[in-house]
Amino acid sequence: MGHLTPLQRVFLAVALVVIVAPFLWILMNSFKYQIAIYQGSWVFEPTLSNYTDVLFSRRSRFSDNLWNSVVVAVTSTTIVLVLGTLAAYSLNRFPWAPWVSRGLMAWLVVFHMVPVLTLVGPWYLIFRHFGLYDTLTGLVLTHVTLNLPMAIWLMLAFVREVPREMEEAAEIDGCSRIQTFGYVVLPVIVPGLIATGVLSFIFSWNEFAVALNLTSRATATVPVGVAKFAQEYEIQHAQMAAASILATIPAILIMFFGQKFVVRGLTLGSVK
Amino acid sequence: MQLKSALAAAALGAVLWTATPAPAPAASFVEVGKQAPITILINASPWYAGFEKAVDLYSQQTGNKVDLDVTPYGGMLEKARNAVRGGTSPYDLLNLDGGWTIEFYEGGFLKPLNDIDAGFTVPKELLSCGNTHYWNAAKRFRTPDGGKLMGVPPNCNVHILAYRKDLYDKAGLSAPKTYDDVLAACQKIQSPPNMYGFVARGERGNSIRYDFSTFMIGHGGEIVANPQEGDFTVTVNSPQVLAALNQFITLMKTCGPGNYGSIGQADMIQLMASGKAAAVQAVIAAWSNFEDKTKSAVVGKVAAAPVPAAVAGKKPGVVIGNWSFAVPKNTSDDKAKAAIAFLKWFMSPEAQRAYAEAGGIPVRVDTLKSDLASKPQFSWMPAYLDSVEASVASLGYAEAAAVEAAFGLRLNQALIGEMSPAKALNTAAGEIEAIFAKSGRKTGKLAPLPE
Amino acid sequence: MKPPSSGFLDRSFPYWTLLPAVIVFVVLSVYPMLNLVGMSLHVYRFEGGQEIATFNPWQNFSYFSGDPIIRPAIVNTIVFVLVAVSAEMAIGLALAICVSRVSRGKGLIRTLIILPILVPPVAIGSMWRLMYNFDFGILNQGAALLGLGPINWLGDPRFSLLSVIIVDVWHWVPFIFLILFAAVEGLPGDVMEAAKIDGATQGQTTRYVVLPLLKPAIVVAFTFRSILAFKTFDEVFLLTSGGPGTSSELISLHLYKVFFQQNNLGYGAMLSITVILMVVSFLLVSRRVTAAQAQG
Repeated sequence: MGHLTPLQRVFLAVALVVIVAPFLWILMNSFKYQIAIYQGSWVFEPTLSNYTDVLFSRRSRFSDNLWNSVVVAVTSTTIVLVLGTLAAYSLNRFPWAPWVSRGLMAWLVVFHMVPVLTLVGPWYLIFRHFGLYDTLTGLVLTHVTLNLPMAIWLMLAFVREVPREMEEAAEIDGCSRIQTFGYVVLPVIVPGLIATGVLSFIFSWNEFAVALNLTSRATATVPVGVAKFAQEYEIQHAQMAAASILATIPAILIMFFGQKFVVRGLTLGSVK
Repeated sequence: MQLKSALAAAALGAVLWTATPAPAPAASFVEVGKQAPITILINASPWYAGFEKAVDLYSQQTGNKVDLDVTPYGGMLEKARNAVRGGTSPYDLLNLDGGWTIEFYEGGFLKPLNDIDAGFTVPKELLSCGNTHYWNAAKRFRTPDGGKLMGVPPNCNVHILAYRKDLYDKAGLSAPKTYDDVLAACQKIQSPPNMYGFVARGERGNSIRYDFSTFMIGHGGEIVANPQEGDFTVTVNSPQVLAALNQFITLMKTCGPGNYGSIGQADMIQLMASGKAAAVQAVIAAWSNFEDKTKSAVVGKVAAAPVPAAVAGKKPGVVIGNWSFAVPKNTSDDKAKAAIAFLKWFMSPEAQRAYAEAGGIPVRVDTLKSDLASKPQFSWMPAYLDSVEASVASLGYAEAAAVEAAFGLRLNQALIGEMSPAKALNTAAGEIEAIFAKSGRKTGKLAPLPE
Repeated sequence: MKPPSSGFLDRSFPYWTLLPAVIVFVVLSVYPMLNLVGMSLHVYRFEGGQEIATFNPWQNFSYFSGDPIIRPAIVNTIVFVLVAVSAEMAIGLALAICVSRVSRGKGLIRTLIILPILVPPVAIGSMWRLMYNFDFGILNQGAALLGLGPINWLGDPRFSLLSVIIVDVWHWVPFIFLILFAAVEGLPGDVMEAAKIDGATQGQTTRYVVLPLLKPAIVVAFTFRSILAFKTFDEVFLLTSGGPGTSSELISLHLYKVFFQQNNLGYGAMLSITVILMVVSFLLVSRRVTAAQAQG
């Protein structure tokens, strides 16, 4: 649809540079010794020692952190997407009493406003009681809870835009409610599903406060691992930069393949 | 002499030990027997590597299992609180920062060490570290006088003055003994923005409060009159503290970089390590940053001196900021015993030596005075020992964090010129008095300084 | 395809689709929320390893009214949210529309734009602090190239909040972009074609066709971004700790200090509820404003 005006081209180019430059700068720092970072030098002797330190030093256990993050983020995102889309569809398409639909939406958004700091204590007690402290299951449950409000609200905005005539036509053709949802609605809201999925994934991937409190060394996730480089008496910027880069790459790959999976899975069966 | 050679033999033993993994018991270490496995909550820190090596050595020698949950500093307090507040503690030894100890002592969250093992004592060679590991519940104060032993310090963190010996030598200056010496030296050496004469932390909160306290105490000032005896009269707006604040501001503005109001720990280390500062007031834990080639452009050029005196002829004001190892109340008896066994072993001279050699900061006087001190990489030891012996604990009351927040803000405002020093101190005095009044202490304050 | 439309699953479709989400929330959100409200009415101390709560909301109110930080914290938070969220909405929307019109490489551009929210928050704070560094930072290196003296980004009370806002905008533009880009991509193609055939310019199409259709997505993006902005903590904690003075103090940072560092649970809970009330009133006011604009 259309093409870019020269002004839009300039804007897009400048925006891309500003957005990407700090990231490239972090990438550059990940190959520096700390002293070169301190001095802000542009000419330096590159080293891989930060990466080897992050990946292989005993203190770090970064590969475990990465694996835990993959498990937690992928599982919680899948659950959030399924529950969120179903709930949004139900809320939008069925004549729920206003106190149910509006009440639930209001509760979700107010819950999202609660500072996470105050949730952590009660959750620790709940999970300790049910034996879910220090398990990835417990962490997945909390991430589902944290990300579901936004997912339901977002999916509601996308579901609302699906023309009702399409569904009515499908029902006249004899489709059941489940079939209408699966073959008519889902393919149309794929862009929304992808955006919601990507955001839930990223929020889970970078969530720190809950992960810190509900895990220990073996179950800790990436943000907890990265935070170890911000110590009380020194910040190990070089290792932190390397860890940030290492954390970003799998996230991009997972999101890339996750999108392919969603697009293929949902548009193959489309009746469009 | 004999002690020295025994130590040397022990050291040799330790070295041989780490070199050969054969599981023969080393006779020179404390024998603790078979113990239950324990888990220690500890933070990533500059001395962590040393501690990890010491723990490995312990496991090799005794066969006892020790797990370390290495946690970011920013998450330590949360995890320690969670551990003691619900169910069985996942940890058997908590590493608590000095400022947090009172909350845990007063809340009854810890096992006094003699309740676990009545015969347990700390060696007389152990640094007192401000005695923050004792708690007198009746006085609500950390003191061995009538207090119970609640923990053991793994390190006593105090300030030292790290200065560029090469620059001082070239300018014909000797190590500064007072802050006036620092000011004179800085004016002689500095050439901003290429070289700053002296850098300390001015960032709001803990940073400025902690770095200013060497000036305040050096002038004989204090925040509160006598907390140990329950007199919480606020004395922060005394003429002594005002003199200290003026001296601090002068030094920060004359000798430091233009962002003196926002310098934190990392910024200060950065300036020193990259060769832009001639002297910094740093905690001993930061020292290793200056002596590592990958982190520092000034390796071998930095010397350590004790904290300068604020007033010539008076004692320097050194404030302790140590950690404590403590046993949570909700851990099992055998694990608590195993924790004590580890502490006994850890405080033995041989273990302390191994700890120091691997990068830790030892807590035994004899280790600090041993032949190690003459080695170049341990050149900080004498200055550290001087500082630590002159040091006192500060903020020894439950309201410490609130007091620090109020004081740390007003100090910062005085430094950046939002308030006159006198007004800042008067304001802080009023706020600190209100904090104590709310918690029901006997409090009051001095007549306000003329603004 | 056989229509099993009379199956139980199908008849109960509206219920079992909503139920799991409701269960998750009943189990994991009700207790913490009630606990929070309860805490705000009590004063806590600890004795013998036990928590002792005394009902005393007045004490927490007296903390509130006697707190010298609360005013600057609220004022700064409002400035911060207004400036940062407006900038993020404007830039994010413009980017979404521009990128949707790019003919090749959309996927790559989208990946590049979301890089900032992928960086762990602790690294964002620490790395930007280095970039802002007075003596060595990349920004002051750039300023020197332009012939400017070093700028005291974090140490000058006039700039500190702005510096935090810049980082926040960099960090969160991708969030707005992602949502609005998905919404633009999901627009029905025939509407665009129709507008084009009617001879609408690109600007007109955007103003009168695209924006109204994007409204639901814009509202959700704005709502959730504003909520997160009110809760901003990591960035400002690592960049300035709220200083110098109180120039960059935000309400969530203050909450952290009271609730966590000072362990004042009752007053901290009351501050949490203050944050929630601030967000609710902010969202209500902004709804009124946009509704009034739509009419006028």
